[in-house]
Amino acid sequence: MKPARHPLTILLSLGLTFVGCVFEDEGVTRVTISGSAVGAEADILRRQLEAFQEEHPDVRVEIRPTPDAADQRHQLYVQWLVARSPDPDILQLDVIWTAEFAAAGWILPLSSFDPPTDAFFDATIRANLWQDALYAVPWFVDVGMLYWRSDLLDSPPSSYGALLETARTRSERIPHGFVWQGARYEGLVVTFLEHLRAFGGRVLEPDGRVRVDSEEAVRALTFMRDAIYAHGAVPEAALTWQEEQTRLDFQSGRALFMRNWPYAYPLMQDSSASEVAGRFDVAPLPAGPGAEGASALGGAQLAVNAHSDEPAAAWRVVAFLTGPEQMLERARGAGQYPARRDLYDRPELADALPVDPERARSIIEAAVPRPVTPVYTQLSSILQIALHRVLTRQREPAPALREAADEMRALLERVELRPGASAERSDDAVPRASESDAARADAPAAIADPPAATTDAPAATTDPPAATTDAPAPTTDPPAPTAPVSPSPAAPGGGGRMGV
Amino acid sequence: MSDGGGTASRSAKLRRRERRTAWAMVLPAVGVVALVALFPLAWTAWESMHLHDLRMPWRGRPFVGLANYVELFSDSRFREAVGHTAFFVAVTVPLELGLGLVLALGLDQIRRGRGLARVLVLLPWAVPTAVAALVWRFMFEGEGGVANQLLLGVGLLGDPLVWFADSVMAWVPVLLADVWKMTPFVTLLLLAGLQNIPQALYEAARMDGAGGWQRFREITLPLLRPALLVTLLFRTLDALRVFDLVYVLTGGGPGTATEPLSLFAFDALLQGLRFGYGSAISMTVFLIAFLFALAYVRFLGHADLMERG
Amino acid sequence: MKGARRRLGLSVVVLLLAAAAFPLYWTVRSSLVSEASLFQHPSLLPSPLTLEHYRALFQVRRFWLPIRNSLVVAGATTLLSVTLGSVCAYALARLRFRGRALLLSFLLAVAMFPQISIVSPLYLLLREVGLIDSYPGLVMPYLTFAMPLTVWLLVGYFRQLPPDLEEAAYVDGAGRFRTFWEIILPLSLPGLATTAILTFLYSWNEFLFALSFTVGPERQTVPVAIALFRGRYQVPWGEILAGVVVATLPVALLVVMFQRGIVSGLTAGAVKG
Repeated sequence: MKPARHPLTILLSLGLTFVGCVFEDEGVTRVTISGSAVGAEADILRRQLEAFQEEHPDVRVEIRPTPDAADQRHQLYVQWLVARSPDPDILQLDVIWTAEFAAAGWILPLSSFDPPTDAFFDATIRANLWQDALYAVPWFVDVGMLYWRSDLLDSPPSSYGALLETARTRSERIPHGFVWQGARYEGLVVTFLEHLRAFGGRVLEPDGRVRVDSEEAVRALTFMRDAIYAHGAVPEAALTWQEEQTRLDFQSGRALFMRNWPYAYPLMQDSSASEVAGRFDVAPLPAGPGAEGASALGGAQLAVNAHSDEPAAAWRVVAFLTGPEQMLERARGAGQYPARRDLYDRPELADALPVDPERARSIIEAAVPRPVTPVYTQLSSILQIALHRVLTRQREPAPALREAADEMRALLERVELRPGASAERSDDAVPRASESDAARADAPAAIADPPAATTDAPAATTDPPAATTDAPAPTTDPPAPTAPVSPSPAAPGGGGRMGV
Repeated sequence: MSDGGGTASRSAKLRRRERRTAWAMVLPAVGVVALVALFPLAWTAWESMHLHDLRMPWRGRPFVGLANYVELFSDSRFREAVGHTAFFVAVTVPLELGLGLVLALGLDQIRRGRGLARVLVLLPWAVPTAVAALVWRFMFEGEGGVANQLLLGVGLLGDPLVWFADSVMAWVPVLLADVWKMTPFVTLLLLAGLQNIPQALYEAARMDGAGGWQRFREITLPLLRPALLVTLLFRTLDALRVFDLVYVLTGGGPGTATEPLSLFAFDALLQGLRFGYGSAISMTVFLIAFLFALAYVRFLGHADLMERG
Repeated sequence: MKGARRRLGLSVVVLLLAAAAFPLYWTVRSSLVSEASLFQHPSLLPSPLTLEHYRALFQVRRFWLPIRNSLVVAGATTLLSVTLGSVCAYALARLRFRGRALLLSFLLAVAMFPQISIVSPLYLLLREVGLIDSYPGLVMPYLTFAMPLTVWLLVGYFRQLPPDLEEAAYVDGAGRFRTFWEIILPLSLPGLATTAILTFLYSWNEFLFALSFTVGPERQTVPVAIALFRGRYQVPWGEILAGVVVATLPVALLVVMFQRGIVSGLTAGAVKG
C-alpha cells in the first residue's frame, strides 16, 4: 500500500538528517553569516568571504541566506535570536536594530575586541552604541537620494515644491512623476522622515518626547497624500511598493523622479536591463518649506550573535569585512558607500561611486539618524500603520498622527523608557535629581542611551530604571561633534535641525 | 453482542474489562491531544495574565491579572480586528453556502463527467491556503494583473485599480480567494447530504403534482438541514480563525484595514514579542470561537451533530 | 420546459467549474512565460513558453529543501496520527464505555479550535527545549489538528464495517485489541489510506505553525517558503508561480488518484458526524 511505505522512508530520512546535523570538521572553525541570497550583494559577499578564507584557512564561513526585505529579515532574526539559536554567528543588522538586539541581550558587546571606532562616521557609531559599548560595526552606509531624469530635465529640483510642480506638469508620455516607497513597512517611515525633516518636523524631541503630531508633521504628511491624489504626481501604486518596485518603475522610464538608496545606481546603469542607463542622475533630496533636505541614515552593520559558539572567529570575519580594503571592494561591486570616513579621500572611491566622494561625505554627515531605542520596531510599526492609513485615505493626517503619537507615548511609558516613569521609580540609593535636571539627564537616556542596567546581561539586573536616572547622561552625551550637522537625538545641541 | 448465557456478575466483569481495554486504547491518542492542545490552551490563559515581553527580558514576567485584557478592550486596533473578522465571516460563509448549494444541486443532476467535475471541485480545496492566496495576489497585482485587464477589457473599469492600496477594494481578492477555495468543501458536504435523500420521496411528490420549487422547499431543504447546519458550523469556525489568506494576500493592509483577529494576535506575538498581550488576544479568539460553537450546538440540537456519539 | 431548466442548471455548473479552474490555469500559464511578459498583454495561450522559472526555482532557490521538509513533517505527522489514532478510533467506534461521546466531542472541538490560541505557549515551550526550527518542533503542534482529524475520520469508517466478523473473533476468545489488530486493521486498509491521505493533505497545507516555529530555509515547509519568496529584489512572480505549481502538484495528484475516497472520507467525517 502506497501511503504506508511513505512514512517509513520519511522516518528514516528524518533520522539521517538529524545525524547529518552534528558532523564536524576537524581543525576548521565554522561560522555562518546572514546575508542576501541573490543579486550583486550576494556575489560580492561570496567573493569577499573567499578572500577571507584564503587568508584564514582555519575558518570556514557559510552564508545563511536571508530575505532582502528589511522587515522580513528583522522578523527572521528575532525568531532566531529569541530561540537562542547559535546560528548564524554573524548578523547583518539594519541601522535601527542594534539597540533593540543589544538591549535584549541577543548580540555581544564588541568592546573587548577593540574595534577602531574613530575611523567611522560618527552617526554610524552612535547608532550602534548601547550604554557606551559598541555592539555592531558599521559596514556600509545608506542615504536616501533623489534620482532624476537628466535627459528630460536640466537640473534636479531643489525643493519639494519645485519637484511637485515639475512632476505635476510632466509630459503625458511619462506616466509617473515621483515614486517612493509607500508600502506599509519600514521604508514608508523613511520616506516620511525625509519629508518631515524638510518640513522642519521630527518624530521625537531631543529629550525623547514624542512630537509626531506637530503642525509640521501634519503638513508633511498632507503634502505626501496630496502628491498622490490632488496632483497625481505620485502613483497610487507606490503605496504597495518597496525599493525594488520603485526602481523597476524608474528604470523602465516610467517615472521622472525616484527616492531610493545608492544601490539602485549601478543596477540602472546596466543598459541590458535598464532603459534609462546614462539618462539619469542623482542629487541630494530636496529642501522643504521648513528646512534643508536631508536623507534618512540607513545602512548595514555587522554584529556577533550572543549565543555564537565561535565569537572570536566571528569577530575576525567582522573585522575583515569592515576593513578599509573590503569596504572599497563593496563600493566597487555593489555601489554601497563605505562607513569609514577617511576612505572618502581615497581616489579609488571616486571611481567606484556615482557621486563625488566629497559630496557623498557631506550628505552622509548631514543624514538624519532614526531614534536609537530598543523599542524602535514598535514605534515604527505604530507609525507605519498611521501613515499608511492616511495615504490610503482612511484617515485624515491630523487625527491619525495624534493617535499614533498617543500610542507611541503609551508604549514608551509602558516600557518605562520615558523620563517620568524612570524618575518615579528611582530608588533611595540614587539621589533624586531636581525636575529640570532629571528631564535633561533622563531624556537621552530614555531614547538614545537606554537604561544603564540593561547593558550587561539583562537577566542579571532586576531594577534597571533606577540606574537610568542619571548614570549614562554625562558619559554618553558628548557635545555636538565637529561634523557640520549633528543630527543625533543623543546630542541636543543639534537643535531644530534634528529631524528625528 | 450475544450474551453467551453468562451470569450478571460475569457480564459486569466483562464490562469492566471492556472499559479498561477501551481506555487503554483511547488513552495514547487522547493523551497526546491533551498534551499538545489542552495543556497549551491552559498555558495561554495563564500567560495572558502576565506581562511578558521577550524583547525586554529585564522586565521579567510579572503577574498582572487582567491588565492585558483591559488594554485589549481599549485598543482600537483590536476592535477593528473584531469587526474585520465578523465582516469576513458574514460575507464568505453565506456566499460559500449559497454557491455550494447551487453547485451541489447541479452536480446532483449531471450524469456524465462526474469524475471530472469532482476533480475540478476538489482541486481548489486541495491547494494550500497560503499558496492559493499567492495565486490571487498575483491576479490582482499591479496594473497589468489579469483582474485589472479583464475589468478594463469589458469596460467595467476606466483606469486600472490599485487593489491593495484601497481599504475597501483590498477585501475583494481576500473574499474571492476564500470563496474560491472553500466553496468546494461546502459543495461536497452538501452533495453527500443530497445523495442521502431517498429518491422515492421525490417520485412521490411528483405524483402528487408538486413542482420543482415546491419539491425543493418541501423535501430537499428540510432533509438537507442537518448537512447545511453542520457545514455552517464548520465554515463559521474556520472563517473565524482566518490567517493564512490575509497574511499572504494583504498582510492586513492597507493600514490595518483587512487585519483579522488571528493576524493581530500573530503580530503581537511574533512581531511584537509581547507574549502576555498576544496571549490575551489569542484567548479572546478562542473564546469567540468557543461561544459560536456552543451556540450552534445548542441551536442544532445535540442530535444532529453527535448522532454517532 | 424541463429540458430548458436542466440546460440552465448545467450551464451554471459549467460556469462555476470554469471559474474554479481559471485561477489554476492562469497560474500554470503564467509560470511558463517570461518575467517580462507576466504583466503585459495577457493572452490565454501565450507563446513562447519557457521553463526558466522552474530552473531558477530549484537551482537558485533550492526549492527541494522545503519539499523535503514538507514531506518529512507531513509524513511523520500522518504516520503518528494514523498509528495512535486508529487504535483510539476503534475503541470509540466499537467499545462501550462511559465518556465516549464526551471524548468524541472533545476531539472535534480541538480540531476546530483556532490554532492561534496555542501559538504562544507552544513557542515558549519549543524554545525552552530547543526545538524551534526542527522537525519534531513541527510534528508536535501538527498533531493538535491531525490526531483529532484522524480519529474522527476513522471512527466513521470503522462504524461502517459489518460487525459480524469481529464478533465471531471476539466470541472465539480473542481480546479486543487482538481483534482489532488481526481482523479490523487488515479489513480497513482503504479507510486507513483515505484517512492518511487527508491527514497528509492537511499537514502539507498547514501555514501558521510552520510560519511561527521555523526560522529558516532549512526547516521551512513549502507554503511558508513560497509565501516568503517576496523580497527586496523585485517580487519574483515567475518563480513564485512555478513554486505554486510545484507545491500544488502532489496534492493535485493525490486528489485525482483518490478522489472518490477523499470525498467519501470528508463527507463521512463531516455530515454523518
